[in-house]
Amino acid sequence: MALLSLNCISFSYGRTPVLKDISMDFEQGKIYCIVGKSGAGKTTLLSILSGLAVPDSGVILYNGKDIKDIDKYEYRSKYIGVIFQSFNLITKFTALENVVLSMDIAGVKGSQRDKKAKALELLKSVGLDEDEANRRVLKLSGGQQQRVAIARALSYDAQIILADEPTGNLDEETQNEIMEIFCTLARQGKCVILVSHSKRVADSCDECLTLSKIK
Amino acid sequence: MYIIKNALRCIGRSVGRNVLIGIIVLVIAVSSCIGLSIRQASVNARKETLEGLSITASLSYDRQALMQDFGGMNRGENGQPPEKNNGEFDRDSFKDMMGEMESLSLEEYETYASASTVKDFYYTLTAYLNGTDDFQAVSNSLSDTENTTQTENQNAGFPMGQGGMGKMGGGMAMNTGDFTLIGYSSDTAMTDFANGSAAIVEGAVFAEGTSDFDCIISEELATYNELCVGDEITLVNPFKEDEEYNLNVVGVYEKASEAGDMSSQFGFTMSDPANEIYLSYNALQSIADSSLGVSNEDNTSALRSSLNATYTFADVDAYEAFCEEVYTLGLDDNYTVSSSDISAFEQSLIPLETLSTMAFYFLLVILIIGAVILVVLNIFNIRERKYEIGVLTAMGMKKGKVALQFVTEIFLVTICAVILGIVIGGVSAVPVTNALLENQTTAQSQQSNRIAENFGRENSMGEMMAPPNMDNSGKQQVPQGGFMNRMPDMQSMTEYVTQINSAMNLTVVFQMLLIAVCLTLVSGAVSMLFVMRYEPLRILSNRD
Ligand SMILES: Nc1ncnc2c1ncn2[C@@H]1O[C@H](COP(=O)(O)OP(=O)(O)OP(=O)(O)O)[C@@H](O)[C@H]1O
Ligand SMILES: [Mg+2]
Repeated sequence: MALLSLNCISFSYGRTPVLKDISMDFEQGKIYCIVGKSGAGKTTLLSILSGLAVPDSGVILYNGKDIKDIDKYEYRSKYIGVIFQSFNLITKFTALENVVLSMDIAGVKGSQRDKKAKALELLKSVGLDEDEANRRVLKLSGGQQQRVAIARALSYDAQIILADEPTGNLDEETQNEIMEIFCTLARQGKCVILVSHSKRVADSCDECLTLSKIK
Repeated sequence: MYIIKNALRCIGRSVGRNVLIGIIVLVIAVSSCIGLSIRQASVNARKETLEGLSITASLSYDRQALMQDFGGMNRGENGQPPEKNNGEFDRDSFKDMMGEMESLSLEEYETYASASTVKDFYYTLTAYLNGTDDFQAVSNSLSDTENTTQTENQNAGFPMGQGGMGKMGGGMAMNTGDFTLIGYSSDTAMTDFANGSAAIVEGAVFAEGTSDFDCIISEELATYNELCVGDEITLVNPFKEDEEYNLNVVGVYEKASEAGDMSSQFGFTMSDPANEIYLSYNALQSIADSSLGVSNEDNTSALRSSLNATYTFADVDAYEAFCEEVYTLGLDDNYTVSSSDISAFEQSLIPLETLSTMAFYFLLVILIIGAVILVVLNIFNIRERKYEIGVLTAMGMKKGKVALQFVTEIFLVTICAVILGIVIGGVSAVPVTNALLENQTTAQSQQSNRIAENFGRENSMGEMMAPPNMDNSGKQQVPQGGFMNRMPDMQSMTEYVTQINSAMNLTVVFQMLLIAVCLTLVSGAVSMLFVMRYEPLRILSNRD
């Protein structure tokens, strides 16, 4: 059974329709790529998948359950890890604090010290050293912020990773490193859903969902 | 709890804003603390003073009502205030009115004393007698020459100082006489001796309740007439020169000179406390009785005496109960129960209580303005942090928890400022209150003086001593009774509560914490409202 499945999802911002009759199954251990032109509704679809936006029609099933019946806060904080296109980090906090905070919200067990150690390790794996980890997000570069967002999404061991152009601001080498992380996660049994304009990224994914603009 | 950790971190990351909020709360806290302390001081002062107060009360004819009746009647006739009636006060009809007012008899007084609330009851009888060539009143040379005016002046209702004499219906009878004889029913009636303002220096006080003609005289009087214990003095009825009474001097007393000295300066011989002769009630009553026995037919030559009874109470409640009970025991409605202790006590608290009332309104205004400022600041604060709220909720933090974090932040800042405010307020409350109280007391005294001036009296003693202008005397006489009743201690200057020692106590601290919680709730409610209204998608997708 699919971990997450979309059934005839339609969505519109007021009178402007964005998504129409989208159906798709997302399974464990696979990397999915959502592609489409700018403004096609990729970010909107991720918002629906993360429970932030409610579709006008259609059902989203998580583990066979309608996500309307799941506590949306629990769903957001524990089951999915989201890397927003615009990062959505708390800019007055340090990178480390952002990561630890998401662990706190998710209710990750363990002492603060353990959480900090785990967060540092994660930040290191996405290429941030301790100095950068303890710097306020505001003082990090765009690419560094993006990596903090990635580390944050991975920090609480979510089943599903939703990433909106996670490598958009990164150089090729770092892009590869990040993609390597996602591949590892998929191999561990997670479901990774990416949005990317990069053909290379799309090619390395298991399945693609192409969105097109509705006239 | 990560919420508290987050709250602390957020406070730390925006020090400027929180210091601003803190300063505002601090100002509110310090002023509230002082305001509450003033209120507390007022409550404390009332309680402490009441506890230590022995309450005495007396019954008096409601002269004010009588005066009003009288004034109204006169005005009805010619449409003019009584004193302007051809420039002459209608003294005769006034005296008629006064004559109708019967003084209460001892039996009546005793009936009322049977009220369950009365703790103790005593009475004094006052009479005025003249001296002889061998026994003369202490007087200063100035007043000697003006003997007639003195008498008139005395009728003008000057309080006669001691022993509650001021409360007897003075002024109704032409009380002439060099000496004031006061007969006491018991030792407790001799309040000056009981409270230490008078003491025996030679001999002893006459036996309690004795019918023997034993008396005690003042040291001045003894020196002036070269008398000592064991001597005999002779007094005569001022209305009938050949009616003589002999008293044995059994003791000489000394009185702490206080307000009494003032009246001696006024030149009223008999109101000079030195000319007060004390004896037992029974002795004086038998003198009065025998005088009545030998007087002429219409009793005009009989010795005038007036009875004055005092009831004591265990506490204010008992006094208040008595005020009602006494009428059920048959007291006429025209009589009122009054307690100089309570009115003096109330009077002494006026500045503090005025201050307390002002403090209350001040507190209200401060709290309202403070709360409005905090709410406005908080609205700006929360709008600024809209994005943060969006991020936190998008990450799955429950809105309730986000709101709780925001409220916690406000609470932590508020409580710190309030605690600092309690410390600063606690240190400054006493000096500030005392300084305010001093102003208030001055204002209060000035007001009393103005009232005195309204009554046609200048505040300076010199003016008061001026020989009374007959045209004016009626005017003086009329309001005097009521005025003095209300302000029993005017002459000796009311002792206002002008100092408080400590105002802070747990009640104030508790109230302050309550204020902190209320301020938090008020400004926190705004945060909650906003947090609950925000939808993360909207915030995150509509970034300005
Ligand atoms: N809050 C909103 N209100 C109204 N219209 C919106 C809103 N957010 C997005 N849209 C519109 O919906 C459409 C889809 O937007 P979306 O952000 O999903 O595009 P996208 O595929 O992610 O584009 P990009 O590749 O540039 O990120 C766009 O036309 C956009 O203008
Ligand atoms: Mg997008």
